[in-house]
Amino acid sequence: MKRRTLIVAGAGAAAALVVGWGVLPARSRQGTTATLPVAGGEVGLNGWIKIAPDGRVMLAMNRSEMGQGVHTALAMLVAEELDVPLASVQLVQAGPESLYGNVAGFVASLPFHPSDAEPGHETRIVKAGQWFVSKLARELGINMTGGSSTMVDAWDVLRLAAATARAQLLGAASLHWKLPVAELVVTDGVVSHPSGPKAHYGELAKEAAAAPPGDVLLKDRKQWALIGTPAPRTDVAAKSNGTATFGIDVRLPGQVYAVLRHCPMLGGSSGAVNADAAMKLPGVERVVRLGSYAGSTAAVAVVGTSHWHAKRGAQALQIDWRAPPAGTVNSADVMRALEASARAAAQSGGGFTFYSRGDAAAATQGAARRVEQVYRAPYLAHAAMEPINCTARVAEGRVEVWVPTQVPGMARAVAAQAAGVAESAVTVHVTYLGGGFGRRLDVDVVGQAVRIAVETGGRPVQLVWPREEDITHDFYRPAGVAVLQAGLDAQGLPVSIAFTSAGDAITPRWLARSMSVLAGPIDMPDKTTAEGLFDLPYGVANQRMTHVATHSGVPVGFWRSVGHSHNAFFSEAFIDELAAEAKQDPVAFRLALLKDAPRHAAVLKLAADKAGWGTPLAAGRARGVALHESFGSIVAQVAEVSLVNGKPRVHRVVCAADVGTVVNPGIVAQQMEGAVLFGLSAALYGRIDIEAGRVKQSNFPDYPVIGLAESPRIETYLIASASPPTGVGEPGTPPIAPAVANALFGLTGRRLRELPLVV
Amino acid sequence: MDLSINGKTLTLDDAAAPPDMPLLWALRDLLDLTGTKFGCGVAACGACTVHVDGQAVRSCVTPLSAVAGKPIRTIESLGAPDRPHALQAAWVQHQVPQCGYCQSGMLMAAAALIAKNPKPSDADIDATMTNLCRCGTYPRIREAIKTAAAALRAGA
Repeated sequence: MKRRTLIVAGAGAAAALVVGWGVLPARSRQGTTATLPVAGGEVGLNGWIKIAPDGRVMLAMNRSEMGQGVHTALAMLVAEELDVPLASVQLVQAGPESLYGNVAGFVASLPFHPSDAEPGHETRIVKAGQWFVSKLARELGINMTGGSSTMVDAWDVLRLAAATARAQLLGAASLHWKLPVAELVVTDGVVSHPSGPKAHYGELAKEAAAAPPGDVLLKDRKQWALIGTPAPRTDVAAKSNGTATFGIDVRLPGQVYAVLRHCPMLGGSSGAVNADAAMKLPGVERVVRLGSYAGSTAAVAVVGTSHWHAKRGAQALQIDWRAPPAGTVNSADVMRALEASARAAAQSGGGFTFYSRGDAAAATQGAARRVEQVYRAPYLAHAAMEPINCTARVAEGRVEVWVPTQVPGMARAVAAQAAGVAESAVTVHVTYLGGGFGRRLDVDVVGQAVRIAVETGGRPVQLVWPREEDITHDFYRPAGVAVLQAGLDAQGLPVSIAFTSAGDAITPRWLARSMSVLAGPIDMPDKTTAEGLFDLPYGVANQRMTHVATHSGVPVGFWRSVGHSHNAFFSEAFIDELAAEAKQDPVAFRLALLKDAPRHAAVLKLAADKAGWGTPLAAGRARGVALHESFGSIVAQVAEVSLVNGKPRVHRVVCAADVGTVVNPGIVAQQMEGAVLFGLSAALYGRIDIEAGRVKQSNFPDYPVIGLAESPRIETYLIASASPPTGVGEPGTPPIAPAVANALFGLTGRRLRELPLVV
Repeated sequence: MDLSINGKTLTLDDAAAPPDMPLLWALRDLLDLTGTKFGCGVAACGACTVHVDGQAVRSCVTPLSAVAGKPIRTIESLGAPDRPHALQAAWVQHQVPQCGYCQSGMLMAAAALIAKNPKPSDADIDATMTNLCRCGTYPRIREAIKTAAAALRAGA
């Protein structure tokens, strides 16, 4: 079947639509006006779009804006199909209904090799798996902003919702004026006919709601006026004058402030609490003990008249902290155990094999030469600039929370649990997120804030974690170790690769703490831990890609690009080693292995060309390259690196990407720049160490992130593509660490096989 | 205690606002001026940057006792909606913000820089702009500062 969207006009209002085969028909996700409340003369046309009396288009916004530009990009889809200016699309927060859940993000969690899941060329088993998961995700309706899935999920659904609304509005005008639809023109939300009649959408909406949409056609890409342009973001002015409201900025009548201290030992609890000194301090109102909410470590909170008053109170508490019953963890022990697990599985064939082709064991055995290296990556914190926070009010049996979250439905569930009410009694207001990076896929702070608000007599309470609590009580990017083996032929070319990694699975732990109904007694194989290692594009005939899922006891979570964040370092630094073994240029070596992966080859060539790969550099500088696919997008980066006072300094990064159809090239460039710098902080500095259950780092001075002075120039080049859009927020992060490591090899002749990169 | 903020004198209740209270929390929690952000509490990230006597200071470690009677300027008065500061216009032109959380502090640090140094070099920008951003807006901040400085030199 042609993948292009087909629309079949049916009898009456029952138009049918077929969108590829892989996702449920977008038609079934149009919803009804029942889930989009109207007020003041607004008219709903479907579950996504309503029209204001003055003609403005109002869009139910189901995704969180955390910097990635989705509020702008999703509004662009709707403005395009409705022929209105971007600025006239007004966002209203979507409700908790399953209509607003994320389907694409969950479909992408299936551990298929990209060569089996190439859009339009999926294998039978891939199709079946995607169909099943999309159906399940549709039923569950989990609203999640994450997995670089927002545009993928919305692409057909929102354009169809807008195109259907437009067809109804035109239908209403046609009926009213008794003029054929084909002769009507829409300009900036005003429908007109050359003979004179003219009406804006607000004037047509009531009749449109009753009009059948008839034939609904999405615009052909040649007709796009907005999609594909670098339209300015709609949130920039408010984010440049202090008026954008983040979670921490919520101010309500009678609001009080809370600060907490967690048990310093991860997973520990609090014994006796002496609050005498704290309660004597001015501005301190009460002390609330907090158990574990959605995976949090137990804590004690102090409520006061300001954050500062509450914090002084929290510091004055004397608390008898207790270690977790299972004992405390040490990250150095975890690293040793991970290496032992990976080595054992590599030897014995244990672990779960995510991908295999040919016979890697035999090929390696028979190879002229063998290479084996061990790669390591530490735990990492997210350190989003906006500290973890939630504002809650519990009064008269109802709960309201204001929270910067990536998962409002999960926030609602934990709020209901913490207050002992039904979910229907909870309202969640999603604010702007001051960075998310996966940290705000966890809702621990919501349970804590609601629990405190139960004690404050109906007054709203804003809980803000001090930065030290954030760094020491995160859900960390899991540490990982990989044993990478290759068999080389007489020319030094790889005949086999066998990668065996070990690390904690994220998804099962996340489900267990946030949505326990979906957590089973046995962990299913979790793609997030192995992604970026098992799914390489290189045409090596014999492969065995295996992962051992471990249980370290450290709370682990999703961190921008998830498993790819360290696995790309492992795989792309190792591929570079193999190029050196073969005495070949790293770009030429990769291209030779990409004969069956033309899209990857094109991206790599684009990056190499734009970076001047192979041309002379200033003395003391070297280039390194890396190529990686994640979240459906292919990114290659060339980093230009030197040593300044013996430390790596990255001067220039050239980033080439194939992200399918580019909805907004300006936002894509922003995301690539941001992803590079996020990855660079980790590559150069990022590490979380745990001793006796206590995280050693606590704030930016000892958990440094890259600053402006060390920030490279970053250039982004995009491949023109007519495929549907793929992920943008995360795919720029994975390649930077290996690109820098590979450049450092060029400078120093030494391979760095552990993150962060210490020369 | 009387504070001079954005050209107005604001009076804080002495009981609620003791002299050792950091300016940041008086601004945010007592005066509801939430444009100034909390990021680290230890003067490491600059999200809380405001001007005191025209100097960029990190308000999370600046006690009220140190600013009483001195002119304080926050993001709320950097420009007006109909008349944005040259930096705010440049922030829009270069599409600087992503999540936006650090940008109030970035703008206040940049405003103090170009007020003193109408033609900042890359080295000047490197030395002054020590605020942290996790979204990676630094390359655009650098360019936007140059654009704004040029606009001011041209009499904007």
